[in-house]
Amino acid sequence: MDLSDSVLDHLRHAAALPDLTGTRYELESEIGRGGMGVVYAARDRQLDRRVALKILDSALAGEAQLIARLEHPAVVPIYETGMLPDGRAFYTMKLVAGAGLDQYVAGAPSLGECLRVIRRIGEALAFAHARGLIHRDLKPQNVMVGEFGEVYVMDWGVEAVAGTPAFRAPDARLDQRSDIYALGALLRFVLPPSTPPALEAIAAKAMRADPTGRYADAPALLADIERFQEGFAVEAWSEPLWHRLRRFASRNAVLLWLLAAYASVKFLLFFLRNI
Amino acid sequence: MGGPGGQFPSTQLSLLEAATAGAGLSNEALEHVSELYWKPVYRFIRVRFRKGNEDAKDLTQSFFATALQRDFFARFDPAKASFRTYLRMAVERFAASQHAAANRQKRGGDVEFAPIEEQAVIAESPEQVFEREWHRQLFGLSLDDLRIHCEACGKHLQFDVFAAYDLAAGDRPSYADLAARHGIAETSVTNYLAWARRMLRHFVTERLRGVTAGERDLRDEMRRLWT
Repeated sequence: MDLSDSVLDHLRHAAALPDLTGTRYELESEIGRGGMGVVYAARDRQLDRRVALKILDSALAGEAQLIARLEHPAVVPIYETGMLPDGRAFYTMKLVAGAGLDQYVAGAPSLGECLRVIRRIGEALAFAHARGLIHRDLKPQNVMVGEFGEVYVMDWGVEAVAGTPAFRAPDARLDQRSDIYALGALLRFVLPPSTPPALEAIAAKAMRADPTGRYADAPALLADIERFQEGFAVEAWSEPLWHRLRRFASRNAVLLWLLAAYASVKFLLFFLRNI
Repeated sequence: MGGPGGQFPSTQLSLLEAATAGAGLSNEALEHVSELYWKPVYRFIRVRFRKGNEDAKDLTQSFFATALQRDFFARFDPAKASFRTYLRMAVERFAASQHAAANRQKRGGDVEFAPIEEQAVIAESPEQVFEREWHRQLFGLSLDDLRIHCEACGKHLQFDVFAAYDLAAGDRPSYADLAARHGIAETSVTNYLAWARRMLRHFVTERLRGVTAGERDLRDEMRRLWT
């Protein structure tokens, strides 16, 4: 059978559509695709709500169940996992209304807001790592910031995925430290142009080519960000003396003002007593 | 086969897997490979080396014959590249050496220059032509499988509905039109289309299984095909 280009393109598209016969879902439209599978918007007829439906290679069905067990505020909740009549696996999850991190950053949020997002991502990573799951493909497109400021890390990786070049660690074998690299790349991605050198240093340490030179885990990186936000020295950067003094002054501003006021009063009293 | 809730059984072992494991390529396997790759190889040679119809056919024929004689398929290493890439590169090397030999003869005055035909204005690269022709052949053969399957199990109506909608050359009819034309409910049109597409997917998978070296290679090809 000789097929024209247009019929061939249609067939490739039509035969790839998930056959939802026997499920409670009705297909609406494609909303995204990545190395791991294609995501569609679908309607759950039983509960009369819209969901996101992801189609996976059948060999990855076990991984979908693993992801489904990740119950964390920054991980999109999975509603159901199952198999389609054609043998492919699927899972449904909350359909998140919001913007990808790349779109979110384009809106020029404050530094504090950017760091809040990074910390939420880091917390989700730490949670997943503690359960033996790594993301493998952390990038701005896989992070959603919801309309109420909630942060979701999506598209948790499986063995078939090997990351996106700008955020992929140069590691031969991906592990938790490869995710740390990607988190550092995300931190660098969200930082505004005039960034404090301490934050630059945190991103640089997370992105070292040698995995052993990176933070040991996500909590260690988050702790360094927290130290920065609280005005303490960060592990990733040996700061010059003047910078240390300035940071000390900024962190102890009230105390320094009180001391200055006390010294002024003392000086005034001394002056009055001697005239 | 392929009923709701059931998974498709694999009806065909990976023939390449057997060949690369040292068992050699059976006639059936060779037939399977050449059936799927003959046209892509032929089109690739025409576009890449600007060969005329007959020259390209001869070169394609001699490529497959030489490949069989020289144990070409047994040397395929799935760890290095997909079979499709391996085959395309082998065709390129083979055709280039034949092309060079022909040119040497031309310089000696033995052979007349072949006219460059209409394919000179093709916008796609030879690699893209090869890829697209391979898709066309894969789907064409799988559609034949689907049609034979429908005839064998009396599902003529399902195939007719599928052909009228998914193989329409111009505007596709609406589901309501199709239902009226065949005297069935509109929901039956939806179900018949879903069934036929599922079966087509199955036959495509089976065709791919025959020319891939194991489950992982198959999955990679499937991912490339559907995304």
